[in-house]
Amino acid sequence: MNKVSILFFATLRDQAGVKTSMMEIRPGETIAELKDDLVKEFPKLAGLMEHSLVSINHEYHFDESVIPENAEVAFFPPVSGGNS
Amino acid sequence: MVNSEAPNIYSITEDEIDINGLVDKITLTSTGAAAIFSGMVRGITERDDPHQTTYLEYDSYIPMAEAMMKQVAGEIRERWPSIQGIAIVQRIGRLYPRTPTVLIACSAAHRDTGVFEAARYGIDRLKEIVPVWKKEVGPQGEEWVEGEYIPRSGE
Repeated sequence: MNKVSILFFATLRDQAGVKTSMMEIRPGETIAELKDDLVKEFPKLAGLMEHSLVSINHEYHFDESVIPENAEVAFFPPVSGGNS
Repeated sequence: MVNSEAPNIYSITEDEIDINGLVDKITLTSTGAAAIFSGMVRGITERDDPHQTTYLEYDSYIPMAEAMMKQVAGEIRERWPSIQGIAIVQRIGRLYPRTPTVLIACSAAHRDTGVFEAARYGIDRLKEIVPVWKKEVGPQGEEWVEGEYIPRSGE
């Protein structure tokens, strides 16, 4: 099993109830599979995952990406920085 | 020789944005123009969905935001090679109406070499790919504001 650290931001953080989490994943596990694992762990994330953006080690990634060992994987809504 | 390098400044900060200090940092001896865009918290919105804002609470995924700011600066330099210095700063935390929240400044030798367009491109890209979010708090309650842009692979 590989260890990855998970980060949540904005709405996803509120719904998960935590800022960060450690997860064990199978070698070769993809983002799509990790999303399913996370929804099992944090049921309130169901329905939010399909619209969320994902980064692996600070770069944008998508459902089919394979997660490397010891990765930092973040889940967040489309960004809304800048001004109002 | 002072200020002979082409500076890039990226910052996510809880501190007040120091516009004069930032412009000074991107001003070289050969600089003759700087375009400065700053966005602030709007307390009264009249366009689209009229509402009032008491304050905005900004959060960021800081290491990724800095990496994405660096990418935006790289894209600007690719499109407008005449740009000398680039400063991109996002203020986070609880910010009240009239407070500057973001600054993008680009400097060049002359004003007709793309500085206006470069600063415009910078703020537009920042709002697409730099991971910053704001929670809007007002008389109607509070909610996270979500963007619309879905980055492509490799962005």
